Amino acid sequence: MTQTLALLIDAYRLLNARKIFWFTLGLTALVVLSFAFVGINDVGIRIIAWDIEVPGVNLLSGWTEAFFYKTIFLNLGINIWLTWVATILGLITTASIFPEFISAGSIEVVLSKPIGRVRLFITKYITGLLFVTLQVGVFSFGSFMVIGLKSGIWMPGIFVSIPIVVIFFSYLYGICTFFGVLTRSTIAALLLTILCWFGIFVVQASESTLLFFVKYQEQKVQTLEDDLQRSKDRLAEVENPDDKERWNFLHETIEVRTKTLENARESSGVGLAHDILMVAMTVLPKTDMTIGLLERWTIDLSDLPQRNSNRPPPVITDDGEFEANEQEIARSMERELRERSPLWILGTSLLFELFVCGIAGWLFCRRDY
Amino acid sequence: MSTPSPIIDIRDARKTFGRKVQALRGVDLTVDSGEVFGLLGPNGAGKSTLVKILMTVIRADGLDGTFLGRPVGHKPSLARVGYLPEHHHFPNYLTGRQVIQFSGALTGMRRRDRMRSADRLLGRVGMTSWASKRLKSYSKGMLQRIGLAQALVNEPDLVVLDEPTDGVDPVGRREIRDLLLELRSEGKTIFLNSHLLSELEMVCDRVAIMVKGQVAMQGTIDELTHDSRRFEIDVQGDAPDWTDSIPGTTTSPQDDFTRIVLRTEQAEDVQPLIDRLRAEGRTINRITPVRESLEDLFMRAVTEDDGTVQAPGGVIKSRTGRP
Repeated sequence: MTQTLALLIDAYRLLNARKIFWFTLGLTALVVLSFAFVGINDVGIRIIAWDIEVPGVNLLSGWTEAFFYKTIFLNLGINIWLTWVATILGLITTASIFPEFISAGSIEVVLSKPIGRVRLFITKYITGLLFVTLQVGVFSFGSFMVIGLKSGIWMPGIFVSIPIVVIFFSYLYGICTFFGVLTRSTIAALLLTILCWFGIFVVQASESTLLFFVKYQEQKVQTLEDDLQRSKDRLAEVENPDDKERWNFLHETIEVRTKTLENARESSGVGLAHDILMVAMTVLPKTDMTIGLLERWTIDLSDLPQRNSNRPPPVITDDGEFEANEQEIARSMERELRERSPLWILGTSLLFELFVCGIAGWLFCRRDY
Repeated sequence: MSTPSPIIDIRDARKTFGRKVQALRGVDLTVDSGEVFGLLGPNGAGKSTLVKILMTVIRADGLDGTFLGRPVGHKPSLARVGYLPEHHHFPNYLTGRQVIQFSGALTGMRRRDRMRSADRLLGRVGMTSWASKRLKSYSKGMLQRIGLAQALVNEPDLVVLDEPTDGVDPVGRREIRDLLLELRSEGKTIFLNSHLLSELEMVCDRVAIMVKGQVAMQGTIDELTHDSRRFEIDVQGDAPDWTDSIPGTTTSPQDDFTRIVLRTEQAEDVQPLIDRLRAEGRTINRITPVRESLEDLFMRAVTEDDGTVQAPGGVIKSRTGRP
């Protein structure tokens, strides 16, 4: 215990000595403070003393103060600040932990002590996570206090962001640790981690895009089925079989729509591509979805402002063209994303992290220094 | 008098880096408890590799024997060891006192003990006034002193020092030498790896010289230089004919005198020769007892290496007599 504690205290001293640590913490405090100057009223968003009209964003449009603060906390605080800016700063700060630790002259003294390499590796790994835990902890507590004091709305759900953001960061930190141990270079570890992050982002973005097309296709098939059924119903309603012209028209229409429906069903390329990406997603850490859990757990769909959809339902035009209802597709996507199990999202991502860290740990423990 | 037990007793230590670089090719080494042991060798001889294997920084491909009575690599045994690596790099955000305390904490020392020990050692290495300053403001010599102190924080039985006087000024070197002698008098075993042969000669009880991954010589300096001990007698004029009949004697004519060399370490053995020379009325210019210095020994060990490890006289030297 003495040894582990000494390593953790050393980690604190390391972070304490770095200007970027305090710089990030200062910026985090500023972001938190900015919540104190933002509010919502009947006109729109109020920033300090200025009211800014934002269409659809005011108390009269179904927004509540609690929902507004949850939204700015999630969208600005988590989705932009913590998952992008603070994460990049966090990676810059922590990327050097392993390369510096295993550099010639540093590692010898520590390895010559009666402490196992596995314990050393795990303790050092936790050190990096402590950095982001501290940052998110300050951010969440600050946000909780500022929003609570300003609006009287106390949202303890904010604190869920601490484990979620730490887990999110840990995926990237695991990759960074692996490259740090492998290359022994801070710059290489940082750049390769960001490259991997970008790769993961591309896979996730592609999956989202393909999911849109899958839902579009589903909506199209559904609309075609409805349309076909309507045509069949109409055909059945033709009372006078002597009305050959109408009968033939409906019959031809049914034939054309049946063929169109079959074509729509058979064009499964998008679905296949989506399935392949889902396999890739299962293997890779799901950074976006992990952060998405926060939104899922803090904002209920029923909290969302009820807006009257002015979009027409999906239709097949007389020319046979499909006109989709994109709002409905977006809702369908949102439902599907929310249905993805947290166990699958976190479990498979953590398995990836465990695998990457396992290799890094194995390299660390087996290597000659 | 009881035989000191070996604190390091390793056999056939082997290590190859990659597939080509054979750093250690079967090293046998014995270090007795309570002695100052010097490990010498040219660059690339495998000294640091050997030290790192003992310190569990590197894994040997093959190794028999014990380290502090346990197999090499037994981590808990390292609580009894203090180590100063050659090119150490302590975190420069720490102060000197923090480095020593951190080192103590990693060996599992209690807080109170390591604080007390750190203060005592700071005084011992002359760094008390710099104790609260960060390492980034230290000179190389100061870093070396702090490095030495951190190696001693846990009151180790064995102190392994790799180039401890590197970067230290002559006054500091002297202080470190005195400290090593103090440690020896306290019963600690010191394992020194250094290029400063004259310093090693002053403090080491025994030395080993490594060449190309093997121990070429091992023993006390007296033992290793035994065969080189001789008396050189410079006499005016030519050498007398009868000197050839004396076993262990050679003559070599110089410019205006002849040098008679008698291979012995006993002064009594030289007396009959002197008496006879004097009886013949020869003028003796000088009588010099000669013994190789550690540097001579080192150079001989290094330059005689032609692929096979040779000790003086063609025999691999080992104090214990084991192969």
